[in-house]
Amino acid sequence: MMNVRIKIVPYETLKKQRFNGIIKDLRHNTIVLIDAKLTAKEEAQIIAETMRNVSDKFSGIELGSLDVEKSMNTVSKIKNAFVEKITGKKRGITIIGPANVVRKIKKNPKELLLHI
Amino acid sequence: MVIRHIRRVKNRISSIVKRIFRKKKDIKIGLYGPVNSGKTTLANRICMDWLGEELGTVSVIPHETREIQVKEKVTIEENGKSLTFNLVDTPGIATKIDFEDFVKAGLNKKEAKKRAREATKGVIEAIKWLDKMDLVLVVLDSTKDPINQVNITILGNLDARNIPVIIVGNKIDLKGSSIARIRNAFPKYKVIGISAKTGENIKELYKALLKEL
Repeated sequence: MMNVRIKIVPYETLKKQRFNGIIKDLRHNTIVLIDAKLTAKEEAQIIAETMRNVSDKFSGIELGSLDVEKSMNTVSKIKNAFVEKITGKKRGITIIGPANVVRKIKKNPKELLLHI
Repeated sequence: MVIRHIRRVKNRISSIVKRIFRKKKDIKIGLYGPVNSGKTTLANRICMDWLGEELGTVSVIPHETREIQVKEKVTIEENGKSLTFNLVDTPGIATKIDFEDFVKAGLNKKEAKKRAREATKGVIEAIKWLDKMDLVLVVLDSTKDPINQVNITILGNLDARNIPVIIVGNKIDLKGSSIARIRNAFPKYKVIGISAKTGENIKELYKALLKEL
């Protein structure tokens, strides 16, 4: 049976490391959970880094994220934009799993469902 | 709503400014999208319609296009208006590439591994080229669920770079195609349904390009 781990990482830590350690975790059957929605550029950076590491044993990743802003009303969105400006991170959640562990991440506006 | 409106106005202003300063340089229109959505078939359709020659080869095996391909000086015309641009066909963006999938599609192990290696490089190149585009046609397979992370990441990256986007819902000639599903998934974008294979509704795309640039 495959030994799968789940690692929960603060966004600030990953950003500080420029997302460098994330691929190492993913290559070792670890699902990474991040307490923020990554920006589109960060997602592209992770996809590019994944592609540099694809091998016979590591075929890539499944990635899914939720943006809490989508379920907010206008006033909350304005407040949220203010909070995000101060904290420097987008409120939400991101989950990244190795493709050999996570078959699919099904997304709807309010939740993510992992198929393992 | 307000924030989205502000962003839209900001993007519009940025696009107008870009248009003013672009005059002398070559306009690049990129074809982006997930694997096997019909980007090269569309590139070939555009090139055949206006240049009389194709751009690249197409295949049912995923990742047929593994390098950036450019056709220079494509001129389209409609109602007295014309637009000349360089058409950039990019490899499909993916988050995983498993050589076993190519073996299942009929390639031998050596060819499959080579194709996987080239495909990973292709994805990296496609991401790098995003910054060079003046407009991007995001080509989606209209028979498939449009809400997936690859599509969201592509559109998010174009948004972040203020690059104008037209979503092309391809394969409308196939059963199960739904342009409404794409419009519902991405309401803030212009969506045009076409069949790159048969040429159905392709004129609408040319009109949209002339209007956008």
